[in-house]
Amino acid sequence: MTAGEGAVSTVEASDDVGVGGAASDDVRVDGARSDDVRVGGARSEDVRVGGPSDEAGVGGEDALAGLRRQAQHLIAELAGPVRRIRLRSGPAVLEVEWHPDEVTRPDLPAARSELAPAVVPAPGAPPAVIRPPVPGRAAVRAPIVGTFYRAPEPGARPFVAVGDLVRPGQPVAIVEAMKLMNEVTADRAGRVVAVLVEDGQPVEYDQPLVELDPA
Amino acid sequence: MFETVLIANRGEIALRVLRACKELGVRTAVVYSAADADSAAVRLADQAVRIGPASSRRSYLNAAAIMEAARQVGAQAVHPGYGFLSEDADFAEICADNGLTFIGPPPAVMAALADKSSARALMSRAGLPLSPGSVAPVPTAAAAAEVAEAVGYPVIVKAAAGGGGRGMTVVRTPGELRRAYTRTRAAAQAAFGDDRVYVERYLTDARHVEVQVLCDAHGNGVHLGTRDCSVQRRHQKLVEEAPAPALSAAVLDTIAETALRGALQVGFVGAGTLEFLVDAEEKFHFLEINCRIQVEHPVTEMVTGIDLVHEQLHVAAGVPLRWRQEEIRLHGVAVECRVNTEDPERGFAPTPGRLERFTPPGGPFTRVDTHASAGYLVGPWYDSLLAKVIVWAPDRELALNRLERALDEFDIAGPGVHTTIPFVRRVLDDAAFRKGRYTTGLVDRLLAAPARGSAATPAPRTAPAADPDATHRRTR
Repeated sequence: MTAGEGAVSTVEASDDVGVGGAASDDVRVDGARSDDVRVGGARSEDVRVGGPSDEAGVGGEDALAGLRRQAQHLIAELAGPVRRIRLRSGPAVLEVEWHPDEVTRPDLPAARSELAPAVVPAPGAPPAVIRPPVPGRAAVRAPIVGTFYRAPEPGARPFVAVGDLVRPGQPVAIVEAMKLMNEVTADRAGRVVAVLVEDGQPVEYDQPLVELDPA
Repeated sequence: MFETVLIANRGEIALRVLRACKELGVRTAVVYSAADADSAAVRLADQAVRIGPASSRRSYLNAAAIMEAARQVGAQAVHPGYGFLSEDADFAEICADNGLTFIGPPPAVMAALADKSSARALMSRAGLPLSPGSVAPVPTAAAAAEVAEAVGYPVIVKAAAGGGGRGMTVVRTPGELRRAYTRTRAAAQAAFGDDRVYVERYLTDARHVEVQVLCDAHGNGVHLGTRDCSVQRRHQKLVEEAPAPALSAAVLDTIAETALRGALQVGFVGAGTLEFLVDAEEKFHFLEINCRIQVEHPVTEMVTGIDLVHEQLHVAAGVPLRWRQEEIRLHGVAVECRVNTEDPERGFAPTPGRLERFTPPGGPFTRVDTHASAGYLVGPWYDSLLAKVIVWAPDRELALNRLERALDEFDIAGPGVHTTIPFVRRVLDDAAFRKGRYTTGLVDRLLAAPARGSAATPAPRTAPAADPDATHRRTR
């Protein structure tokens, strides 16, 4: 484990585990929403595994083991050094903080990452870049007015993450209109440069949703 | 009153409704297609939602997209304008299901009246005279022939689900009936998904007179007098005036009162129009009822001083009618002409294009309802109504002079763009029209005669079609 400022591994309670020096791969950047920055210069993530109905107790050990496995997955996929991880098993919470300055992903604009908050909706949700579309840049657009969703269902893994290669016809999002889920598919091959809309936000017809660097 | 109204239409009527909302302090939201992104309504609305591509099937006819837009803007009511979904009872019901007030009659009333044969039956029961013919749909060509023999030729075969001048075939001799019957049923099935047709006597040289009614949700109603819309080409109206000229005041009153009685008996709510044919003996026959604001509503506004869209909004918000019948006073004469981007010299074919010049007329008692401006692109996707010029004067002679003067001022030019203004001038010049003694045969008579001054430059001219269903454009 990489040591960060808060890289102290402590057990605060029998079912509340802090693991210093872990990491996450999930980033949602929104330069405009600086009030969302929760830890100065750092990113954090809340992960809920299971619902509030999960009873700590009988399943407590299992839940904690599950959280550990989740944490290990995150660490394995991490791009930058970890600052802090917090696990809790009842109701299960996994919180990750890391240093953004060391994030070296080329697709994330450095200027934005300074103030970038990280509010992540789903466990293991891959990164998005929320910003206005770049004129002239290829983008997958909304086929209908409705509500934009990144994942096939709440809590599920988003269809695509920044850096993913997509092929024509591959689902990249859902736009819900009148309770009908309309799958949005890529019209060309390319690498995802940015996801332009926040999960659950209203979109208009033809609004750019996912920016692509055509392959 | 509503806080936010969503306007589910485009063109001049979207702007018309938007203005009414603003005047009543109602927040406005409009939906628009990709083709209308720079429209005046989009620019002036408090909020605009792009709901689809140019194709109206995927935008202005897309109920799901409109409901999404209503949700996004937090609207309490939807104004459908005319055309598109304005007379779609299913859409009205979808609005209700989504907690929105549809600005129009209740869905059940709309459904009953949208079916022409059911509307005929309802109005007949309410005591309105029908033109001779079948009330129920005729199931076979033989049954149609029987009705035709009974009422006498010519007859018109009409789709029960038709409207706006579509789904009708005129039959002049018994030999044509079987083919016309089969063809109208097939066309109705294709256009409306409903192949029921009925047969009625076709009145040639009749006048098309309609009555504007306004009913609230509490059982009150008033009529706002008559309009004459006999200047039609293939059932598409070109010039409308209020009140209907050259009919005795007693007959006009009777038509208007009968119309209001019919509307109240079927539970009508909102602004509506009952259309009648009036024959040479001044006998009138109910044709159909329109459950929406109409293109020609401004002439009624000009002679009554009542803003019909304001009243639609009040009624939809549940306010009791703000007038009693005796408070409705008709004053003077108003005439409207439609300026369409069509070429009268080529069978009124649409002529889309960019408007390099567009300067509407001004002056006293002259109103122009238009969504266009210089630089505006008239696209090929929607109907060709570009502007309505409406004038008012104390008497008909002065009103017609004023309309001629206004049309003289109207400057519209763009590559390939033609308008109906030259043809409207011919109507205004016609001696019979001037005297107020004209019928639905006027336009065909003008088209059959060469235009003045056209002898020097003969232009190819399509013959006036006898078949009203040959057109795919709609009147409202």
